Amino acid sequence: MIWFILGFKNLIRRPTRTVLTVLGVAIAIAVLYSLFEFQQGYQSRLKGELGALGAHVMVVPKGCPYEAATIALHGGKWPRYMDESLLDKVKANPGVAEAAGVIMDAVFPPGGQSVIMLGIDEDYMKLRPAWKLRGSWFTSDSSIILGPSVAEDSKLEPGDLWTLPEKNETLRVSAVLGRTNTQDDGFVFMPRRTLQRISGLEGKLVLILIKAMKVDQTDALVASLKADEVDMNVFPLSELLGTISALMASTRVFVSAIILIAIILGGVGVLNTVLMAVFERTREIGMMKAMGGSRSDMFKLVWAETMLTTLLGGLVGVGLAVVSSRLVEAIIRGMIPYAPKGSLIGFSLPTMLFCIGLSLLLGLLAGFYPAFRAASIKPIEAIKTE
Amino acid sequence: MADNQAATTNGKLLDVTDLWRTYRRGSETIHALAGVNLSLRPGEMVSIVGRSGSGKTTLLNQVGCLDKPSRGSLKISGIEVTGLKEQELVRFRRNHIGFIFQLFYLIPTLTVEENIRLPLVFARKKDEQRVTELIERVGLEKARKALPRQLDGGDMQRVAIARALVNRPKFLLADEPTGRLEKNTCAAICRIFHELAADGLGVIIATHDPVLAREADRIVEFSDGRIAREEILKERQ
Repeated sequence: MIWFILGFKNLIRRPTRTVLTVLGVAIAIAVLYSLFEFQQGYQSRLKGELGALGAHVMVVPKGCPYEAATIALHGGKWPRYMDESLLDKVKANPGVAEAAGVIMDAVFPPGGQSVIMLGIDEDYMKLRPAWKLRGSWFTSDSSIILGPSVAEDSKLEPGDLWTLPEKNETLRVSAVLGRTNTQDDGFVFMPRRTLQRISGLEGKLVLILIKAMKVDQTDALVASLKADEVDMNVFPLSELLGTISALMASTRVFVSAIILIAIILGGVGVLNTVLMAVFERTREIGMMKAMGGSRSDMFKLVWAETMLTTLLGGLVGVGLAVVSSRLVEAIIRGMIPYAPKGSLIGFSLPTMLFCIGLSLLLGLLAGFYPAFRAASIKPIEAIKTE
Repeated sequence: MADNQAATTNGKLLDVTDLWRTYRRGSETIHALAGVNLSLRPGEMVSIVGRSGSGKTTLLNQVGCLDKPSRGSLKISGIEVTGLKEQELVRFRRNHIGFIFQLFYLIPTLTVEENIRLPLVFARKKDEQRVTELIERVGLEKARKALPRQLDGGDMQRVAIARALVNRPKFLLADEPTGRLEKNTCAAICRIFHELAADGLGVIIATHDPVLAREADRIVEFSDGRIAREEILKERQ
């Protein structure tokens, strides 16, 4: 402990240099923490989003299946449709337990908030056993169910009237959905036929969500659906998770390489700073050795000083990452093709401990050579004629 | 204990016999010390004088166990130190020798008492009573918690003296201890050296200052690595 106290007292001798060195490590550690947390948050949120679909298999029109999946997860407008008759064919497959056809549309009023609408029927409810409605299921063709976020924003309650922007269509709120913390919170649900009529898409579907009879036979179900019909994309959601994760993994390798370089540069910066400090204090170290300080004492002193520097860098870096998590998340979201909704960078004790442990390891490695140099200084240096 | 017995049996703290320190500079051989004989008794104060390059500092390096001689014998407290290994020399310096430097070398971020305590840290000892006793002895009670930058040169040298004494050494080695001090401060530091000698500590002072040199019991003048002249100023009992 005494070496850490002495090390700390040495660090405060040159506060500007210490702050800059600590900052170098802190930035590297902050980026590392953010990336780790983002990865974990991404995986867990993506799994959550896919799980919230309540389905094992997704059927979408021909085209890029991942673009379709993104629309299915976050809602939106996608100018590709399937014929509604496919839904009956899918339901007829013996491997299908439940299947729900969905039509989607969105309006983007100028200056206003976009409205994402899902046209569903009671089959959709079977995929959402956890849904809790405040109010009742669609009471007529002109009734809607509001996601809780939409209801809060528009301050509407069951029984109120809601006018669809730009379509001049007034509908009555039959229920407000209890908060699910999924994409559903931001949707406006209405009977499928109603949305098809409003959007001029009679007889069309954007998406069919399928719950398999047996989860372990999902692949066989996918194969059988593909064999039945060629005019659609059929894929299991597990595959979607794997593909998006693989896309992320390739980004991760690139970003990890950059972080590794940042950490190495941080370490070299620390090594350089501590080495300079050792050279500057040659006579002082010589004096300490003349007064009975051993090689190992000088080694421990400089090593402790280096570890303190990187430990401070680690602590500041983690703090910086937590404080700037929203900003960093926004930047990363802007760089990747798809990101689940919700907060991705959070407060994680294991990640914090890992980052702080890594900063200590960095100190151990970066401090070794300067500590060795300090230990090698001869006490005779102290008594040399000025 | 054995060390102390040895020191009392021959009555010498330091016994240098035919000490040589030779360097090679290219093809040239330089004798920084050339057969020096010197001794120091407990309570004796000796000044080492001479021009730069005469061998004063080389002698201090040898006597302070900071460097090894090329040949000859160096006994401190009756122990032949020329054959000791590095780790043994570290322990030996810690327990037998106190150093005082011209530039004080106080750690700027440590307080007066922390600077004085530093050699105890290296010796893995706790002796707060000794720290307090030395602070009182050098008259720095009021500056105990002060940082070196808050002290003048004289007070800094007092701290350095207290630090040199904290491990209860057998003798003090002072290299130009008043080189950076004003005249009246020098007198105060000299007084401390006299008090320490009176308590039985051996004191060796390397200096260019003729006034300080004449405060000692004996002046040893070096020239070309040899003792050129020795003058006894005060006869010891």
